[in-house]
Amino acid sequence: MSTEAQSATAPQPNIFMPRAAEIVRAKQITATEKHFTLKMKDGRPMTFEPGQMLEVSVFGFGEIPIGYASPPTRTQTFDIVVRKVGRVSGAITALEEGQTLYVRGPLGHGFPLDKLRGHDILIVAGGIGLCPTRSLILYILDRRSEFKKFTLFFGVKTPQEQLFLDDLALWRKSTDVAYYETVDRADANWKGNVGVITTLFKKVSVDPGTRVVICGPPIMYKFVIAELDGIGVPRTNIYVDLERRMKCGVGKCGHCQINDKYVCLDGPVFCFKDIENLEEAFR
Amino acid sequence: MPDPAFPKKGAFMNSSSHFLKEADFDSFVEGLLKTAPVYAPVAKKNWFVFAPIASPKEVRLDYDLTILPPKKVIFPVRQELVAFGPAGASSSIKPEPRILLGVHFYDIKAIDMLDLLFRENNVDWNYLAQREATTIVGSSIQKVAKRAFWATVGKGVKPRGHDAFLTRLPGGYLLEVLTPKGEKLLACGKFQAASKAQIEEAEKINKDILEKCPEKLSHGSHEIAAKVRANFKSKLWDELSRTCFSCGTCNIVCPTCYCFDVQDNWNLDQVSGQRARAWDGCLLEDFAKVSLGAGACENFREQRGQRYRHRLMRKAAYLNEKLGGPACVGCGRCSTQCVPDIADPVRIIETIMES
Repeated sequence: MSTEAQSATAPQPNIFMPRAAEIVRAKQITATEKHFTLKMKDGRPMTFEPGQMLEVSVFGFGEIPIGYASPPTRTQTFDIVVRKVGRVSGAITALEEGQTLYVRGPLGHGFPLDKLRGHDILIVAGGIGLCPTRSLILYILDRRSEFKKFTLFFGVKTPQEQLFLDDLALWRKSTDVAYYETVDRADANWKGNVGVITTLFKKVSVDPGTRVVICGPPIMYKFVIAELDGIGVPRTNIYVDLERRMKCGVGKCGHCQINDKYVCLDGPVFCFKDIENLEEAFR
Repeated sequence: MPDPAFPKKGAFMNSSSHFLKEADFDSFVEGLLKTAPVYAPVAKKNWFVFAPIASPKEVRLDYDLTILPPKKVIFPVRQELVAFGPAGASSSIKPEPRILLGVHFYDIKAIDMLDLLFRENNVDWNYLAQREATTIVGSSIQKVAKRAFWATVGKGVKPRGHDAFLTRLPGGYLLEVLTPKGEKLLACGKFQAASKAQIEEAEKINKDILEKCPEKLSHGSHEIAAKVRANFKSKLWDELSRTCFSCGTCNIVCPTCYCFDVQDNWNLDQVSGQRARAWDGCLLEDFAKVSLGAGACENFREQRGQRYRHRLMRKAAYLNEKLGGPACVGCGRCSTQCVPDIADPVRIIETIMES
């Protein structure tokens, strides 16, 4: 059939058309972060990989890119965490259980599970960088036998900014994950490590063959990578989850470009080796 | 599913050439107007613009350059993507048959690039549906814009994707028909078969005009791309952009720029509205800025020089492999419209090449 005949009969798919998702659980987890569990209203489950993202919107306010915060091993529902920082995130975080969010996804490329399986894993998460990595953390814990030694570093500025407190409590006790945490500035109740996230490297021995995943604020990457260089982890084994202004999420609008790459399309997860020389990728 | 390979280029029939007498031009345009809305170059004060026409008298095929490129007929300044209301959301893809008349060859090349960029990876029918519904009629350049350099940029990239091409000849026009959509135009006017001499004359006119560009690049695309890319860390970007206002005019007037913002707007009823996209520009200060919360933000291209460099890299280097040449067609719009006159790709590239 010719192109002309096809388009005359078939509706042309619209890459900006979102799907409705019901909020089945909503919980304020810090002063600014809200944790949502969503279920697709059309009955088609959301299928995705850890590290992929989706555009989340409230009509009349707009869309923002958010990473999946739950593992794909859970198929009926999925989680997102939204930090209230502006107009759209303000509208999203004002919603409660039973209300509707609109989503487009999955978008982009996630963590390369095939390259992580069978190896030691270190995840370095800073602040809300724990949200997209939680998808991978829970995936690894769900399929623990497929991975070797599993170490997790989590750093926040102050104890009040810690997320997923129930998860953290489990991980502190778990033998499936070696969990280390730190805060930049302690308060009277904090008994753990104080210092930036790289101070955790002193507490554990990381094998140079470890596969490493990094997700955090833009400033964090170069310091963590310097530590890994010191240990001798090859840059081909380091994966970074980058943040940019992914406005359209489908590789068109241009806002997330780093040189010739679109973070929403080629990323947001990149092998560090592939972008180490890409100017503008890191601070 | 519609074919993502649309629009197919150069797969159609052999072209055919037809002659239209000068005296019959107006009735041809009137014939076009009976089939679809016609967008053509018209005079606006001392400039030209592509605009919907009501009469053949408005058409100015003797224009040198339009303020905005004709891409706006396919990719409008503001375009509704999705409509929303209490009952849910609906797609706003509603193409309208249009005839885009009088497009110079450099703008045809630019539209061809946009076709590829909107088609690749995630097929964007918000663009492609209107593109498919548009019949593009090119026209020969009769007057050369004063900052044009289309003769020396991307010489290996040929204009493709248009349906017909009009060349001004003494006493009339030669219409070269290239696609089935172009063939339908013949029914709108009193065409006769073109003679061999007329065809050859049209070829000569379109070839000779290439000698008349006031600005010239002195190096080929590959050489320019390599040198510009190698100079990413040059101090020249800061120096050349010192007087940049970050106004984004160079982006807005560019026929190959296609960046956009996505915005939601409420209707007056406050329960329904539209999600729409609007042209955006990488020279604007907040283009790559994200909020980090608590009043903090991260701007991934904070400095003017970084934004200025990004545009030139996009035009001269980043997309070359994908497009088969630079994402610049030499129209000279950015050179003409930039207030401090620092956007001219020829001057930037020549400066880098000589550095």
